[in-house]
Amino acid sequence: MGRHIFFLGKGGVGKSTLSSALACKMQETKKILHISLDPAHNLGDIYGKRLSERKVSITANLQALEVDLSLWMDRYLQWSREELKRQYSYNVTINLDSFFNILKYSPGTEEYAVLWAIEQICKENEQVYDTLIFDTPPTALSLRFLSMPSLSMRWVSELRKMREKILAGRQTLLRINPESQSLRGTARKEDDQVYGKLAQIHYRLEYMYNLFKMKSYLVVVVNEDKLSLAESVRIKEELARLEIPLSAVCLNKTGCTDLDETTPQIKSAFPDIPVFSSEIVPGRINSINDLAGINLDDLLSDYLSGENI
Amino acid sequence: MRAFSLKGLKEEGISRMNILRILLEKIKRLLGIITAVHRGKATDIIAFELTERENIFMVLLLGSLIGLPSPPTIFALELLPLLEKEMEVMVARNDLSQDPLGALMGMLNID
Repeated sequence: MGRHIFFLGKGGVGKSTLSSALACKMQETKKILHISLDPAHNLGDIYGKRLSERKVSITANLQALEVDLSLWMDRYLQWSREELKRQYSYNVTINLDSFFNILKYSPGTEEYAVLWAIEQICKENEQVYDTLIFDTPPTALSLRFLSMPSLSMRWVSELRKMREKILAGRQTLLRINPESQSLRGTARKEDDQVYGKLAQIHYRLEYMYNLFKMKSYLVVVVNEDKLSLAESVRIKEELARLEIPLSAVCLNKTGCTDLDETTPQIKSAFPDIPVFSSEIVPGRINSINDLAGINLDDLLSDYLSGENI
Repeated sequence: MRAFSLKGLKEEGISRMNILRILLEKIKRLLGIITAVHRGKATDIIAFELTERENIFMVLLLGSLIGLPSPPTIFALELLPLLEKEMEVMVARNDLSQDPLGALMGMLNID
């Protein structure tokens, strides 16, 4: 299993086009799964097939799927709702239904759904495919789901420490005054379900963090204009802050305008990252055959050279 | 005659034993109550701290609902099914929040 490839960048720079061109190129020698995480799915349009949550074969070695985020969210909320109803012996003072309705719009919910979807897809398909290629949602959401593991890990470890203190307090109380009214639940770490759940969440977040940090090849797609350049610089800075390495920059649609003066700026904005460029395809990308016109050999050889290390 | 007095003595002995046993029981119970009171007093602050910690744990977890910085609500949701007792604590503490100083003073025996 090679590293997972993630295509990032501003909307409309050609993430889907480049990722499908790369997928088409790679499927000649490898088994590829192409996943669209973008809520505004246009991967199906490029491949000329209707994609869904279930894998659809594009060629013998290439399959594609579209992640339906709201479906993942609903599935998750449904599970939680049932779990709550099963565990609680009476209806607690908060109104559960309205609570769940709010949760959909609660911060973190959407990126958690993406994270969860990536985790599931990776675990299910890692053994079957050589490479998974992800087409990401708009930058804001992508950065949020990329930063979620490291930020949440801090929260979870603080909560774990707090829980440890609670358990230690219970142990003390149990030794001195076993009949105390304040003793609720177990005092042992091994028996405490809350502690166990926190550890489990921490493990999952760590898995995702390591997946982004060590097992991924992140490509930022940029066009020859100031806005997409500014956005890709922001992506680079944000990734550096998260200590997730950016692997390559892909300059797409070169030669389409006379704005070529941004090209040197792009090279200087990413001094230590390889910059590859792909020229504009005459005409438009209408079918899978047109994708062959996009030259991504340099990007591919860079990806493959990292695999052998 | 002799046999009778022996029997009487025996009975008397038994009842004395009984009285002793009952007395012992009572002393034991009294001691139990005394130690329980002392244990209770000794652990008052620990128990208060524990309850407060459980309350803070819940408030931290559900902070996003009242505008506090908190972990993503989704994690709270995953833990919530396991936190029924802590939820009770939080609700009880919430009622107490009308007079938190009074509660603290009461616990510390300050009048």
